[in-house]
Amino acid sequence: MKSKTIAIYSGEIPSTTFIERLIVGLCSTGSTIYLFGKQKKKISYAKNVQLVTYSNRFSKVVVLLKYAVLLSFFKPKEKHKLDQIITSQKGDKQIKKLKYYPVLYHKPDIFHLQWAKGVEDWLWVKEFGIKFVLSLRGTHISISPIGDAALKQKYQANFLKVDGFHGVSKAIIDEASIYEANLKNATVIYSGLDVEKLIFKPKTKINSELKILSIGRSHWVKGYAYALDAFSYLKQEGVDFHYTIVGLGNDEELLFQRNQLDLETVVTFCKSIPFNQIVDKIQNADILLLPSLEEGIANVVLEAMALGTLVISTDCGGMQEVVKDGENGYVVPVRSARAIADTILEVRKLTLADYNEMTKKARLTVEKQHSNKKMISDFNSFYDIVLNKELS
Amino acid sequence: MKIGLVLPSVPAYSETFFTSKIKGLQANGLEVVLFVNHFSSKTSLHCNVVSSPKFSKNKLKNSFISLHCFLKALFLGYASTRKLYLLDKKDNLSFAKRIKSIVINSHILTQKLDWLHFGFGTMAINRENVAEAIGAKMGVSFRGFDHYVYPLKNVGCYKILFSKKVKYHVLSEGMKSDLMNQLIPEENIIKITPAIDTNLFFNENSFENMPTFLTVARLHWIKGLDYILEAFSILNKRGFDFQYKIIGDGAEKERLQFLVHQLELNNKVHFLGKLEQDEVKQELLKTSYYIQYSHQEGFCNAVLEAQAMGKVCIVSDADGLIENVLDKKTGFVVPKRNPEALANKIEAVFNLNRDVKEFLIEKAVERIKSNFTFEKQINQFMDFYTK
Repeated sequence: MKSKTIAIYSGEIPSTTFIERLIVGLCSTGSTIYLFGKQKKKISYAKNVQLVTYSNRFSKVVVLLKYAVLLSFFKPKEKHKLDQIITSQKGDKQIKKLKYYPVLYHKPDIFHLQWAKGVEDWLWVKEFGIKFVLSLRGTHISISPIGDAALKQKYQANFLKVDGFHGVSKAIIDEASIYEANLKNATVIYSGLDVEKLIFKPKTKINSELKILSIGRSHWVKGYAYALDAFSYLKQEGVDFHYTIVGLGNDEELLFQRNQLDLETVVTFCKSIPFNQIVDKIQNADILLLPSLEEGIANVVLEAMALGTLVISTDCGGMQEVVKDGENGYVVPVRSARAIADTILEVRKLTLADYNEMTKKARLTVEKQHSNKKMISDFNSFYDIVLNKELS
Repeated sequence: MKIGLVLPSVPAYSETFFTSKIKGLQANGLEVVLFVNHFSSKTSLHCNVVSSPKFSKNKLKNSFISLHCFLKALFLGYASTRKLYLLDKKDNLSFAKRIKSIVINSHILTQKLDWLHFGFGTMAINRENVAEAIGAKMGVSFRGFDHYVYPLKNVGCYKILFSKKVKYHVLSEGMKSDLMNQLIPEENIIKITPAIDTNLFFNENSFENMPTFLTVARLHWIKGLDYILEAFSILNKRGFDFQYKIIGDGAEKERLQFLVHQLELNNKVHFLGKLEQDEVKQELLKTSYYIQYSHQEGFCNAVLEAQAMGKVCIVSDADGLIENVLDKKTGFVVPKRNPEALANKIEAVFNLNRDVKEFLIEKAVERIKSNFTFEKQINQFMDFYTK
């Protein structure tokens, strides 16, 4: 079978962790991957990853000129057609040429856009025989359109033209269906982890001063304000704990709330840390808390489940497709500080045997549903369906 | 008497605190000069506006600007410049910081003023010695953000300021007490509560008990709007019918819209955006209840306006608000960060006897008329500068 050429497009190289995992995984199965866009730093990939990027003003000029010349010589009619499309679009024409010309020249089999907001900009690829698929990952679908009528309209007008949808969860595909009832080739492909590299360690004790951990960027969607309210209840109730949030810079709102609720001695904010330190932090914690208001499926929860730390997650997004309340973790209603507090109290009462029983089930869930191998295999099947190929 | 007022920008028409203060001082024969970071020629205020040095991203250009400012300060305000340098040296500022201090304050060093008054506490940072350098008395107005929020990320930011001879203007007894905890002498802290235009905001219609609620606030996390929405969600689940409007704009808009969506309150909660004063008044006329559930407030003009217009006010116990609204006398106070408590209070107040609410409104209106007028405020500022 002829190998596929796939453009994985997020606009920046390197991209987020899960997109980088996708790139590495796909090229290990023989596909040729194109990465277009702005290169933020040097990164080396395997031979079958083709980088067509720019990093500064000079390289932008070079890339634009190079591909303008190449298209003029080898694909003049298609260049002319694309120029007409660019003229009809809003925005800076030169920037669009810089972004679009390389894609037209290399003409991958599939253009896989990672973020929904760009859908209108990139649908033109279909006019040149390139299949267009879109990943439905998170806030672009679940939050951004809520208050943005223009974005909602954009999705309604354009989703029906997309050749295939990858959703990180069933929940997000359901959300996207609001904009187009019949999403073509809508496929749930769960995020994959290198599960073998995440060593499961059953706990030998649950700390009397309960150690609770959250990991994630500083953003309201992470729901840390509800977590702090929950810990305020627990402090007032005399519970011994320490809560750490990794990934916060100087978040003014949370600094204020922590101060106002008199939690400064029991709540620590840390900046982002390297992954190997994250693994240690997770394994030293008794509970990994995800108080998010919305998620696709949080990678940090998968990691904690793989490593042997009990998870309490809100029921946002697709989290209940991974965490089953009372079986392999705990699920609380979104936006309920009281529910978070009560569930932490429940975990405190668990015996070590019950705790480890749940975390073992959590590990099995991740091994079965979230292996990197499965994710890549699912993506290859998805691409084959979009390309209307028979599975080998 | 010449007062130099240091502000981020020329006050817009809607910034009634500053515009009324400036006009009031001018009406009493004082000259006001504005020192701003962002210059604008569009203003109804008849006073000199002096812009601070403007720097760009170009380092070479900045060097020339800095040199120009330094020489200007040196030649046109030598004595003040020298004094500033020596005072900054006494405060252990590095040589580079002393030179920077001269450059960024060069627009003030050439001025002759009786008072240099910083409109916000944060404006005084890196300018602590400028007033003394030019031979002026120093005033600093503290709002809630300056005192309760800014220092959390900028620990020790007021250490130098608190060591200087300053007359502080605060909005509430709570803030006065907090400054006294910083060992500022009580006689140097003057409480002057905000004022509102009681010719515009007054009680012109009788109270009608409709389940209509309003908040006027920037869409900022400190305003506790998410907690109000959570409270309304609780009420909604109890079958309490209502309409809630929020006037204001800000960075939290997406967050709040998502919250309304997630709580399924789209038909009952309406974001009206930022409105002009007249439009705010029209919305206040249409509502029965006003809610301000901030985590922190200096004082809150919007609550004064709502009380003046005869609305039943339900507020949090944030400092400032507990002096703005007297619990069960001119309105109702609820412990902050407690949506359940807020929901219970809203329901209880709605079901209160009409007579009780009318009596409360009467007391609130009287109190506003007696204590929160522009006339009273400007008299207090005149005392601030002259006594």
